[in-house]
Amino acid sequence: MELEQYHFEEAEKAKKAVREAQVAQQRQKYGMLTKVVLYAFALIFLLFSLVPIYLIVSSSFKTDTQIFAIPPVFVFKPTLDNYRIALTGGTSQVSYVINSLVVSIASTIIAVIFGAMAAYGLARFEFKGKNDLAFWILSTRMAPPIAFIVPMFVLIKSMGLLDTWWALIIMYTGMNLSFSIWILRGFFLDIPPELEESALVDGYTRLQVFTRIALPLVKPALAAVAVFSLIFSWNEFLFALILTQSHSKTIPVGIQGFSSSMGINWGPFMAVAFVAILPILIFTFIMQRYLVRGLTFGAVK
Amino acid sequence: MFGRIQNSRAAKLRTGLILIVPSCVLLALINLYPFFYALYLSFHRYNLARVAKGAKFIGFGNYGAAFSDPRFINSIVRTFIIVIAAVAIEFVLGFAMAFVLNSKLRGMNTIRKIAIAPVTVMPVVSALIWFYILNQRYGIVNWGLGLVGISAQPWLTDPTLATLSIIIADVWQWTPFIMLVILAGLNALPEYAYEAAQIDGLSEWQQFKWVTLPLLMPVILIVVLLRIMDAFKLFDLPYVMTQGGPAGTTETLSYYIYIQAFQFFEIGKAAAFAIIMLLMIWIISQVFVRRLYKEEEATAA
Repeated sequence: MELEQYHFEEAEKAKKAVREAQVAQQRQKYGMLTKVVLYAFALIFLLFSLVPIYLIVSSSFKTDTQIFAIPPVFVFKPTLDNYRIALTGGTSQVSYVINSLVVSIASTIIAVIFGAMAAYGLARFEFKGKNDLAFWILSTRMAPPIAFIVPMFVLIKSMGLLDTWWALIIMYTGMNLSFSIWILRGFFLDIPPELEESALVDGYTRLQVFTRIALPLVKPALAAVAVFSLIFSWNEFLFALILTQSHSKTIPVGIQGFSSSMGINWGPFMAVAFVAILPILIFTFIMQRYLVRGLTFGAVK
Repeated sequence: MFGRIQNSRAAKLRTGLILIVPSCVLLALINLYPFFYALYLSFHRYNLARVAKGAKFIGFGNYGAAFSDPRFINSIVRTFIIVIAAVAIEFVLGFAMAFVLNSKLRGMNTIRKIAIAPVTVMPVVSALIWFYILNQRYGIVNWGLGLVGISAQPWLTDPTLATLSIIIADVWQWTPFIMLVILAGLNALPEYAYEAAQIDGLSEWQQFKWVTLPLLMPVILIVVLLRIMDAFKLFDLPYVMTQGGPAGTTETLSYYIYIQAFQFFEIGKAAAFAIIMLLMIWIISQVFVRRLYKEEEATAA
């Protein structure tokens, strides 16, 4: 076993060395001019991506005068006034944050649990119409939300659930469930079936194979799916706009409330916007490895 | 013996059902039910402000109204303009950026990690921050234009420029997504294809045209179709940045259906519009899913 481990490490080291040599060779291939062009393009793109985010972060610590200043102020004494207003002012954002957390987390938990079950069922059991079922599940996520919110609004209203957490939890669970089924199905298909077959021979039931063998193997994928579900629900605007009025407003609707016919309350907006995107940016950074797979519904790995 | 096999087959089926059924019930409630209810509503005149009057069957009346409603036709045209322009720009920029990052020059890896930040920013936040950046009086874009001697432009109030503003915000958010996916596709290209190409003495351009592009085609198709379907549902940006204006130039399908349902309360009409929209997206998604299954079969074989 140790010897095997040793060989494995050696092989990995050798592979890495080959890869580094290739990269070095590739780097040498470029002339000075090409390098300058490549770096210039990359830096302009980076600037384009980052300027709006920089403006949110820096403006959230600025006074109103500085926010409207032309030319923009780059050096200034930071103030926490905007955060104070956002927390305590007439439009306190605290309840929006709580509502967002509740509906995001609840819908994510339900979607990941049911999603993992259905995904495993689709990956490992044969039955008629399986592919059609998988199609349908994907199509529920691809369909335009506006088409479903019109009839769902009528239903939710008649059930007396308008402006409650339940309304959003129901809608977000649906959205996240089809996503998690589709993504996790791909991860389960990646597991070599021999592992599970030998467990079956050892006398495990199929349900035990699922909970004790398959699930632990896709743990990182479960985490990734959970993070994606959290992000989707956290950012969602259309359903929240239509299904909430005052009690269950989430952050996106709250943020939209900063703009009125009187203009936009920029300072507090910037503060709330920063708070709203910071956890998502951190999550995205951690989840780099799964970003492509998650954003393409598992179509590209 | 025979009995046991049958028994285990039944047990297997039962386990499969236990795993899949809960999700199917949930998705049916959130997806199938509203779909059929929308279909039902689309054949009725039903106004939410006059619920007492109830729903009155009018056959294809709402569908007829859709195609004689210039505002509905306009919203289709506007949606297509924004989708085609935005996705085309995103694709060209993202594709180029993927190749720049794939040069593997020093620092490119770090640039990739940072440049993807916009992808998960809350859409309402990106709408408002671009509203701030493009503001005629205090926006930094007009300040920048002023530096090179161009007069301030009415970005959000001029019909053409408002459309462009929406496109810019969408391009900002989604170009990194295309970049990331194409890059993942590039990294997955098999080396032996290039070795063969080099033996055959193909030039760099020929290698790109005859090796890279065909091998990359599935990934390109997937990412473009995903973007098209997503952009087709565009709602947040016009809602926050322009309210569909000026003169309806940024009124997308989702936005107009929202107006019909929740400002005019014409639920029946809105449902008919939504069904037409669903049909359009369904045609696109069929192409995508068929293709995806073909890919899966090709890799399995």
